[in-house]
Amino acid sequence: MLLPDHDFLKPRTLAEGLDALRDAPAGTRPLGGGTDLVFNMRCRLVAPPAVVSLKDLPELQGVAESADGTLRIGAGSRLTDLVADPRITARYPALAAAFRAVASRHVRNLATLGGNLCLDTRCWFTNQTKEWRDAKGPCLKTGVDACHAIQGSSVCVALNNADSPPALIALGATVTLASAAGERTLPLADFYRDDGIRHTVLGPGEILVSVTVPPVTDRLVFRKETARQGMDFAYGTIAVRADGRGERATRLVIVLGSLTTAPRRLVAAEEKLAALGLGEAGLAAAEATVRDALGALTNLYSPAAYKRDLARTLLSKAVTELRELPA
Amino acid sequence: MSTDDLSVIGRRQPRLDGFDKVSGRSVFTDDIVLPGQLHGRILRSPHARARIVSIDTSRALALPGVKAVVTSADAPDLMFSDRQPLLARGFVHYAGEEVAAVAATDPLIAEEALDLIDVVYEPLPSVTSLRKAMQPGAPVLHDWAPGNVALTHDKDFGDPDAAFAASDLVVTDEFRSPVQHNTLAELHVVLADFSNPDKLHLYTPTQGAPMYQMQLAKAFGLETSQVRIVYGNVGGAFTGRGRAKPHHLIAALLSRVAGKPVKIKATGDEEFIMFRGSGETEYRFRTGVTRDGRIRVLEADVSFDAGAHAEWAMILWLPAPYLNWLYKVDAVRYRGRFVYTNTVPKGSHHGGIFGRLSAGWMQHLTHVAEELGMDPAEFHRRNAIDPGHHALDGSDFASCGLKECIDKVVERSGWKQKYGRLPPYRGIGLGIGAQASGGKNASNDTSAALVKVADDGVVTLYTGIPDMGQGSHTVMGMIAAEVLGVEPADIRIVAGDSDITPFDWGAFSQRGTFTTGNAVKAAAEDARAQLAAIVAPLLGAAPEDLVFAARRIHVKGQPPDAAGKSLSFREAVGKAFHGAEGRPIMGRGFFNSPRPSGSLAYSFGAQVAEVEVDPESGAVQVLKVTAAHDIGRALNPLAVEGQLDGQVFSGMSQVLYEECRMDGGQILNPSRLEYKLPRTYELPEVEYILVETIDPYGPFGAKEVGEGPIVVTMAAVANAVANAMGELIPRMPMTPWRLLRVIRHREKQNRG
Repeated sequence: MLLPDHDFLKPRTLAEGLDALRDAPAGTRPLGGGTDLVFNMRCRLVAPPAVVSLKDLPELQGVAESADGTLRIGAGSRLTDLVADPRITARYPALAAAFRAVASRHVRNLATLGGNLCLDTRCWFTNQTKEWRDAKGPCLKTGVDACHAIQGSSVCVALNNADSPPALIALGATVTLASAAGERTLPLADFYRDDGIRHTVLGPGEILVSVTVPPVTDRLVFRKETARQGMDFAYGTIAVRADGRGERATRLVIVLGSLTTAPRRLVAAEEKLAALGLGEAGLAAAEATVRDALGALTNLYSPAAYKRDLARTLLSKAVTELRELPA
Repeated sequence: MSTDDLSVIGRRQPRLDGFDKVSGRSVFTDDIVLPGQLHGRILRSPHARARIVSIDTSRALALPGVKAVVTSADAPDLMFSDRQPLLARGFVHYAGEEVAAVAATDPLIAEEALDLIDVVYEPLPSVTSLRKAMQPGAPVLHDWAPGNVALTHDKDFGDPDAAFAASDLVVTDEFRSPVQHNTLAELHVVLADFSNPDKLHLYTPTQGAPMYQMQLAKAFGLETSQVRIVYGNVGGAFTGRGRAKPHHLIAALLSRVAGKPVKIKATGDEEFIMFRGSGETEYRFRTGVTRDGRIRVLEADVSFDAGAHAEWAMILWLPAPYLNWLYKVDAVRYRGRFVYTNTVPKGSHHGGIFGRLSAGWMQHLTHVAEELGMDPAEFHRRNAIDPGHHALDGSDFASCGLKECIDKVVERSGWKQKYGRLPPYRGIGLGIGAQASGGKNASNDTSAALVKVADDGVVTLYTGIPDMGQGSHTVMGMIAAEVLGVEPADIRIVAGDSDITPFDWGAFSQRGTFTTGNAVKAAAEDARAQLAAIVAPLLGAAPEDLVFAARRIHVKGQPPDAAGKSLSFREAVGKAFHGAEGRPIMGRGFFNSPRPSGSLAYSFGAQVAEVEVDPESGAVQVLKVTAAHDIGRALNPLAVEGQLDGQVFSGMSQVLYEECRMDGGQILNPSRLEYKLPRTYELPEVEYILVETIDPYGPFGAKEVGEGPIVVTMAAVANAVANAMGELIPRMPMTPWRLLRVIRHREKQNRG
């Protein structure tokens, strides 16, 4: 459980950092707050020859607000700063709640938004010490064609346990990625892949630079279900966004987190609620779509049957909360 | 002695070591660094069961910085227990078993060296759960134990068959509890210095030095006094540090081979591999009652998962007497078996074995009461024992406030207004329990103490009782201060070094306050008698007419500062030491229960827990716990409340949260992230009610508060959840998914 030998690079500018990543040996990892990567290194789950610290790069810092109300949040922003930022807390209290749901104050003092969005997927057959994994035998993530979570699965089904993606996806946030070769911007919803090993679209030497949240006046609700209040990974999270007021809504976005490998949007449920309203009839119809939308689930950290129930519960509680929000 | 005569006892005394603890000055084992110290690491078996084909350590030995590599070949006669080699010999019997160990100049080198030890295993069929091990035809772990039954313990008190036959109603219920880990604040750590083969120094947290001394002396062929155990501060124990574990012996072996001190420190996940917590337990209760609610007979049948070696046979025997301590009954029957599985050897968790059994037993007895149409509180009270009761197992209860505890919690919790009248998924549960204050498991149950008074009036107390966070040193200081008429702040504690401190079995079986407390009281009284003999002639009074209080000694009936009839404590000590005799004051004392077996005193308690189950998520919130405990006299009410908070917390944790989730002999959640302990957010409001029966044998009438409350909390919380759910919950812990499954099943039945 000791940190293995590695080189540590601390570039001063984004350009320097991107060059360093381009020129570094294969397997080099960018480092944000380190609350995820360092622990995975201790477990020998990853053994990068070098890490490149991005945390203090000036281009990755801070929140900027445009005239139209668009927020650009630097990926290196500490979660502690974001949960206290009035531009976020005043307009998007549910987003601030999602940031605050991450771990504890101590962890948020280190952790960055970029780090949380890129949080590695988790599985209790791989997020263990090397000795533990050696005893169980390797898997897709650690180098052979085997999955301990779902027998016969050809793709890694580890969970995306990050708390911040669902609310940001619901808000229609986009992410800007950069490498030495250039920049690109895409919806956060498209950033994730249903593959526990390559769980984001980030290419070699590419990093997350910023998150852009368009101006939104819709209602937004975030919920997290955990074993304990505070400092825990979720059993499940949900973000629900809706226009209108009370039980009326024509446009919804519903995103579940922590139940699957990528955050999962519930399109059929959105349609039912838009058609039937947010009352009990609409909710019942929406809940009935959840099982199919989720498909096969793992028993990782909680039983699959519970995950299915929990998804419905999260939907029901979130929609109930949403329709009771004061206008 | 009435409360009015006591000046220190009964005071809300903050911990004497509080400032050192919170300012980081307290020294724990890992803070100790000896010159030339090496770092040890242990290579553990990856297999639940396998034959060891070969071990090659040559590559590890060749690594620069490696000073020792040991396998069973280096210590062919070294046994951990009678049938258990210290390092695996020929076979491994569980994942995590110690196979080899290294000592190196740097922890990273030691870790790297483990990778360079080549072990070839031939995996064998294994049985990694209690159920599998008990199935007919299951692979047999040890040839001396057919059917994998390591030990059985069968005990009848009275005539159970006749009592069942005479019963009007017989009820049976079954329960299951999981593997649980006594998560300690201070991880397992040991620093061994065996560079001098005539003396083994072992720095390590422990609940008591003598057990460790005896185990290590036996293993290494030493006399007990050749083993020194140093245990300054101990970061929690919860039964997890009662006996030495393999790493203690391995550190000593590595130190002997390397000729240098060696430290072994468990990593967070290793803690869950080497622990000796609770194993899986399956238990069935059968109770016979008369129509009007009198319990005739209690029966318990318990199967324990022992792990790969039967290290802790005591937990198999303990339930038999316990069944006798709460109710007046005609007969009791106990059937217990200890079953081998290919998992880490098991011991016990906070609350001992009674806690987990109680979570089932009290649900069962509530079920019995409801079958009879009786209020459970009335049912318990009707059958509860009284002071002076002589139980079928031979136990005697000189003091007993059980009925008063039940009455108090029933009244203060509003039980009568709430029981059976709460809305769906709100529940209220009552539990009761008892706990022994010490008990004889060896030829004696002795604690000893020394009190030294310096000529400046400072009192040094030498005690072997460890302070594991429970505040025992503060209470011992209060006892000495009370007897000598000084302030707790005047007492310096020297503790935790078997070369220096007098004999003490240690802090388990709730014996600290009762047994060591009596020893400290005796030692302080000895010192006081020595002082009184010197002071009495100076004050013109008989020694027995002197009063020691407020740092003064005065003649009874006179004011404390009466001229010619009093002097300060410091002056008195000065007269002794600087007088013609030159006498330093040194008191000594010891205490051993006069009973040939069993315990002298028992605490009793009752608690009511109120919970709310979220029918949509299955999550339980404990809203309030009302706790009434007869602990004898509360020597330090502040520490008593701390114990109650801690035990309510740990009790609800074991019933609702804690579970080592096993997968083929491996623990899936070996971390404090995934082994879900609740946190302070989850702690309910706790209302404390102290029922102070003054026990005739306890120091100033005290009994115990070390494990009594947790047993009761587990019962009360389990009952409250069962009450909220409207049915017994046979499977612990009561996690959200277990409860949600029950709720969904019921919804389906109601629809269908």
